[in-house]
Amino acid sequence: MTELIERMLRHDRLALSRLLSLAARGSAGPDVAARLPAPSQPARVVAFTGSGGVGKSSLIGKMIDTARRHEATVAVLACDPQSALSGGALLGDRFRMGSRTDDGVFIRSLAAVSGHGAVADHLELMCRILEVYGFATIYLETVGAGQGDIAVRDLADVVVLLLQPETGDDLQWEKAGVLEVADVIVIHKADLPNADHVAAQVRAALELSSARAVPVVLVSAKTESGLEELWQVIQAAPLRRSPDAGARRELLRLAQDRLTDRFFQMRDDHELAKLVEAWQRGECSADQVADAVLSAVARSCPEL
Amino acid sequence: MDSRPLRIVLAKVGLDGHDRGIKVVARALRDAGMHVIYAGLWQTPEAVARTVAEEDADWLGLSLLSGAHMTLVPRVMQVLRDNHLEEVGVMIGGIIPEADVPRLKEQGVAQVFGPGTSLDEIVAFLKQKGTGEAKAP
Repeated sequence: MTELIERMLRHDRLALSRLLSLAARGSAGPDVAARLPAPSQPARVVAFTGSGGVGKSSLIGKMIDTARRHEATVAVLACDPQSALSGGALLGDRFRMGSRTDDGVFIRSLAAVSGHGAVADHLELMCRILEVYGFATIYLETVGAGQGDIAVRDLADVVVLLLQPETGDDLQWEKAGVLEVADVIVIHKADLPNADHVAAQVRAALELSSARAVPVVLVSAKTESGLEELWQVIQAAPLRRSPDAGARRELLRLAQDRLTDRFFQMRDDHELAKLVEAWQRGECSADQVADAVLSAVARSCPEL
Repeated sequence: MDSRPLRIVLAKVGLDGHDRGIKVVARALRDAGMHVIYAGLWQTPEAVARTVAEEDADWLGLSLLSGAHMTLVPRVMQVLRDNHLEEVGVMIGGIIPEADVPRLKEQGVAQVFGPGTSLDEIVAFLKQKGTGEAKAP
């Protein structure tokens, strides 16, 4: 492990790749985290989110080129969904990012389990590894659920939300959780008709909640318009990452996963069966039964 | 959880634009619980090797229907070796004449799947081979 980290620090890309795999696997994560030195330069972590088909991968592809024009190195962690049934995944993001052989660019595709906030697990540690390697910019691509995936806010300095023309009326922008996660809003496919109209609607919706100024940028990956403006807006945004909040969220998720496993292992548990019966007869409140289930799970694990 | 799904890069090298077959294989491997990194059409051998390295892939699958396999495959194998990626398994699919199969295997190709191969056969092959020993940390 120490040898692998030393090789990574000497800019061995295979060692970097292997370390990312170890981090992704989870079990070796703490070992990697403990041996990782501090980064010499903080990276700017930029998350791109938005619904499927809005053009996240294509835009990231163009933003890689934009970063390279500004002589910034770029790493990309691109998440695509993993099947809940088979565990399989088709990771097709890098295909849209263009193929390149440039030492200043590194792209890794990751599978995201559903229910884990639209991003792959252990992303925070993977970002740290890329930061220690020396990448100046890290782009994260979410799986593209779009509504209410706020986990990425803790991982990224800047969250870029992509919207596109013809995605619904102006009430869409009033729904909670859509616009409020964004630090920057991109109206993508701006070469299409009505892009200006969507931009005006979004600006109007944002003005109503004037808590913070969120820039709205019209961009087209196809015509390459707006890329430079988007780069400048991203660079001007404050570095807002909160690793503590990310770590807390991860702890909660790990505990939830364990609770779920234990709960299903208790299929034949007598106490749980009685709780189910009482709940079905309406003999206890939701609060009471939730507390009782937690206690029953705790009692069934001698190590707790 | 310590076991990770097999990671497989699927790509087409050269100017051959027939990607139906490789997409069907991608789908089958996905449904068999593997993680498929689809690199797509018109890749250079250098770009393929880079993708394999960055993705820490266990396998590389190349699909060729253009007849250029005896030119392109040896080139990919050479670039993989140049980049210390010799432990990555390579499988080939597409229209490959029988006579060329032994010559490709001499180059280090693990298996060649010609027309008529069932998807189950490819899945079973990968599951049986698994990851190379060199992949264990």
